[in-house]
Amino acid sequence: MSNSMVEKNDSANRPSSQTLLVCKGTGCIAGGSDNIYNALQREVESAGLRNVKVDFVGCHGFCQRGPIVDIEPEGYFYTEVQVEDVAEIVRSHLVEGRPVERLFYHDLVTNEPIPLYHNVPFYEKQHRIILRNCGHINPERIDDYLAAGGYQGIRKALLEMTPEQVIEEIRKSGIRGRGGAGASTAFKWEACRRSPGNEKYLICNADEGDPGAFMDRSILEADPHSLLEGMLVAGYAIGANQGYIYCRAEYPLAIHRLEIALEQMKEHGLLGDNILDSGFKFQINIKEGAGAFVCGEETALMMSIEGSRGMPRPRPPFPADSGLWGKPSNINNVKTLVSSCRIIEDGADSFASIGTEKSKGTAVFALTGKTRNSGLIEVPMGMPLADIIFDIGGGIIGGKRFKAVQTGGPSGGCLPANMLDLPVDYESLAQAGSIMGSGGMVVTDEDTCMVDLAKFFIAFTQDESCGKCVPCRVGTKQMLTILERITEGKGQPGDIDLLEKLAQTIKATSLCALGGTAPNPVLTTIRYFREEYEEHINKNYCRAGVCGKLVKSPCQNACPAGIDVPRYIRLIGDGKFDEAVAVIREKVPFPTVLGYVCVHFCEAKCRRGQLEEAVAIKELKRFAAERDKGLWKQNSKILSPTGKKVAVVGSGPAGLTAAFYLAKLGHSVTVFEALPVAGGMMRVGIPRYRLPAEVLDKEIKEIEDFGVEIKLNTRIDSTDDLFAQGYNAIFIGIGAHRGTNMGIEGEDTPGIIDGADFLREVSLGNEVKIGDKVGVIGGGNVAIDASRTALRLGAKEVTILYRRTRAEMPASPEEIEEAIREGVNIVYLATPVTASRVNGRLNVESIRMQLGRVDQSGRRRPEPMEGSEFTEEYDTMIKAIGQESVTPDGFGVDVGRGGRIQVDDDTLAASREGIFAGGDVVTGPASVIEAIADGRQAAIAIDKYLGGEGDIDEVLAPVEEVPKYVAPEIEGEQYRPEVNTMPLEKRLSCFDLVELGFDEDKGIEETTRCLRCDLEER
Amino acid sequence: MRDQLLPILEAYGKKREALIPVLQKVQGELGYLPEEAISEIAHFLGISTSQIYGVASFYAQFRFERQGEHTIKVCQGTACHVRGGRRIMATVAQELGIQPGGTTEDYKFSLERVACFGSCALAPVMVVDNTVYGRMTTVKARQILSRYMQEPQANE
Repeated sequence: MSNSMVEKNDSANRPSSQTLLVCKGTGCIAGGSDNIYNALQREVESAGLRNVKVDFVGCHGFCQRGPIVDIEPEGYFYTEVQVEDVAEIVRSHLVEGRPVERLFYHDLVTNEPIPLYHNVPFYEKQHRIILRNCGHINPERIDDYLAAGGYQGIRKALLEMTPEQVIEEIRKSGIRGRGGAGASTAFKWEACRRSPGNEKYLICNADEGDPGAFMDRSILEADPHSLLEGMLVAGYAIGANQGYIYCRAEYPLAIHRLEIALEQMKEHGLLGDNILDSGFKFQINIKEGAGAFVCGEETALMMSIEGSRGMPRPRPPFPADSGLWGKPSNINNVKTLVSSCRIIEDGADSFASIGTEKSKGTAVFALTGKTRNSGLIEVPMGMPLADIIFDIGGGIIGGKRFKAVQTGGPSGGCLPANMLDLPVDYESLAQAGSIMGSGGMVVTDEDTCMVDLAKFFIAFTQDESCGKCVPCRVGTKQMLTILERITEGKGQPGDIDLLEKLAQTIKATSLCALGGTAPNPVLTTIRYFREEYEEHINKNYCRAGVCGKLVKSPCQNACPAGIDVPRYIRLIGDGKFDEAVAVIREKVPFPTVLGYVCVHFCEAKCRRGQLEEAVAIKELKRFAAERDKGLWKQNSKILSPTGKKVAVVGSGPAGLTAAFYLAKLGHSVTVFEALPVAGGMMRVGIPRYRLPAEVLDKEIKEIEDFGVEIKLNTRIDSTDDLFAQGYNAIFIGIGAHRGTNMGIEGEDTPGIIDGADFLREVSLGNEVKIGDKVGVIGGGNVAIDASRTALRLGAKEVTILYRRTRAEMPASPEEIEEAIREGVNIVYLATPVTASRVNGRLNVESIRMQLGRVDQSGRRRPEPMEGSEFTEEYDTMIKAIGQESVTPDGFGVDVGRGGRIQVDDDTLAASREGIFAGGDVVTGPASVIEAIADGRQAAIAIDKYLGGEGDIDEVLAPVEEVPKYVAPEIEGEQYRPEVNTMPLEKRLSCFDLVELGFDEDKGIEETTRCLRCDLEER
Repeated sequence: MRDQLLPILEAYGKKREALIPVLQKVQGELGYLPEEAISEIAHFLGISTSQIYGVASFYAQFRFERQGEHTIKVCQGTACHVRGGRRIMATVAQELGIQPGGTTEDYKFSLERVACFGSCALAPVMVVDNTVYGRMTTVKARQILSRYMQEPQANE
């Protein structure tokens, strides 16, 4: 065959006026692209479109959005195409010239359609060198590869360079092995070249055993010739005449495409005894893996090719000296070989100009897990993790919080949010405790348990351990056993240290890198997520709600007070409202208040939310509470008087809950409240249109009925005084009521008031004049409450300024919705800079923000946009950016930032003996349910301090046989029923309750959407 | 048995290097590696059957018992794990009444766990024979299984 076959061949392959390219990678085929391809051919033919061709290509890498159809030459990018869409694409786009917008990729924030491939953010920020041809050429046609400049590299090498010059070019490029270890490719080739003998082997490692990695699969399916050309280059350089591709058997399509490509190479004189008339001889054979992860290790891989058990052996001797059948051999990863081919073709300088000093070129990653965009990406070495995960990956699905990113597969490590700035290169990742690895990058969110993930990885490596050396065979088993115990609630103190010690030993003494790196996931999760391990061991608590033996149901697990949600939902469904409330009251004394205002952590974890939407747990709590007839009181006990006295300072949810349980335990409890009304933030923070006064009054009365005395209008400044009055213990629950300053010039300008103060004054019935035009600064519930309250006080125009975007607003989504419905304007990405009075009016100058880099909280940091200042006049400006506590010195306790009292994690004991604290004064502004949970915890600790058992568990609902449950088939989608609300026109003239709850039949129907996770086998 | 295997054995030749490809081809034909086949291979290649078992049993791909007509593989790789792969496996195991590694009594289905198919962007993934099903949910798993269950059993 002549050289002309390899010359650039533009004319024969110039595209006809349009070509439809259907992706036939494994992912898109799974989505039905074979059928789409056939259907397109039929439609195009029957529409008589002579200038339109239908062809197929390999994997674009964006498998999540497949099946993909490109239209060239323009580059229209159709996603998630179904066979049913084919007729429309042909008719509307090709015949009528109207593209089918709904099939385009849509911007994740604005939802704008993005028609062209190179504008899609997923691709825009990539730098595709290795993946250059993937998705653009037909992998089963060598002519496509030739037209794209294929086989120019080997041509140059064979006809213009010596093997030594080839190696020199590779050395200049600085390329390091892309299989994961990162050894210098030039060094390895040189070593093999120098070995004596003329029987040498070049081996391509296409085993790709890392779960979560599919870079090599895609390259082989989309552009096999790039690899094969790379093998020729490498074979020439090291002086080998026989090449092997070791490809895992789980990639049948890749193997099929390789076989076709090899045949085509032979037909074109690119394989055989005299390649390109240069005298160079080379043959390539494919060997299929047989399902052993360890065979990705080079010495084990060679054993497998030889027909033996794939067990590694010590090195030295290195393969370059003694490899396959004892002959000098060189093993490289697919991406290393493809890169080498590009380096010879384009020159080393081009490659070396990308990346960092020690990590040259690009890296290919399989970005998967919880990102909104997932698939294969190629980026320059040194790109920060944040850019990859948030710019290309689009951030986390469902607006959940980023938790960790796992790089390097089972040999790598899990890196937390505060490492998101880390540049992706060999050294940085190694220093952080992970490795570059082959390219797997799995992103996890708040619903992933890090201990479970570590156990997952060790279970994998333990299973795949070849068994040859004791440290790996026995060591990983021991680590797995310990991790299993921990995730089942049987962890013991000392387990973490034991895991670390085992890990160090296994790393240091294992025969090969499987054992040598297997402990990395465990070590990094302990290093960065130690609290999760401690919670599992010391508190039998899995905060992600994953570990089956520790989590009865995700909802109950997420509730700070541990309310038995599935049980009360079931009782409501049975019409047993009394008993449902009794179940709730086993844990909290404010079922109705919570039913109105709880922030419902449970709903965020509700598994039904993974289908259509979470069960309306909060609303159902209210539904039951409003129908309660008081059955719970029958079993609610009070123990006999202990003779001890407890003082509770503050009548918010923390204080009242602590008081309630302490009174039930027999102590004499007095609650001191500085304001004229009881309830804390429930009374003076939450407006009446959200929580009516009567509702709160009723539940406080229930607490008083248990003997709790509440002294209003009584401010406490000194704990010494209380002790002097004979109190044996004190609980401080004074909350956080003082507004934080914005830190702007003109902070004290008249007209600026604090949000918490504003809400308190209104709730106390005091008149507050705010005028017509009101501005509110902040994005939490206080800001929303203040703005809706301002409307009800007659303001004509209320505008919220928030410095981030809606997605990041901490306020409850339903509150934000209602505020907008009622007419509150929200200006996002703006923040005040100065305030002053001009001509008797309050002037506030603000500046616009843009979202910049992701910071350590996993959110983008807003940055001011130069020159975007704007000024507005207001009658009143309400600042609602946070609250601090004011803890008097006379309390005698250690206080930290923001006036927060420092306490022991378990007992809530403050620094002075006999004093305990909980709620917002400890945590900063949080939620009612968290304060209630603190109240419970404090009651337990105080009772123990006073000599009691600290047992506040009780059975209020009748004990029952749980009826057998047969899960109904879920047909179609079922969403929540509407909550009745006060009509919009009526709302703003009063503070009457806005949300009116479910209709009776709708409420009961809603309970059927519960999936009964409590019945899951553990 | 010998007649069936001879073409495969002769195509690869009497080399130790041929062992794993031969085992793969034979399993491809017979569905698993019966004792008789191992003996034939041992005889042809001049290696002992215990050596062949030593190699074959090392690799997860090889089966020594008759398999079901359809092999269901549920991916338990990292991305699939993080996206609920465990629940899919539990559902399938429950529907079929067997554990991973097992085969139904009527030899209709075998169930396996696989560490990774490389279709991570479609997690969680289930493969039945050669068909890849992505974005699985427990509901979809049941639907897919019942479709296969409703097929008439293939003849021996």
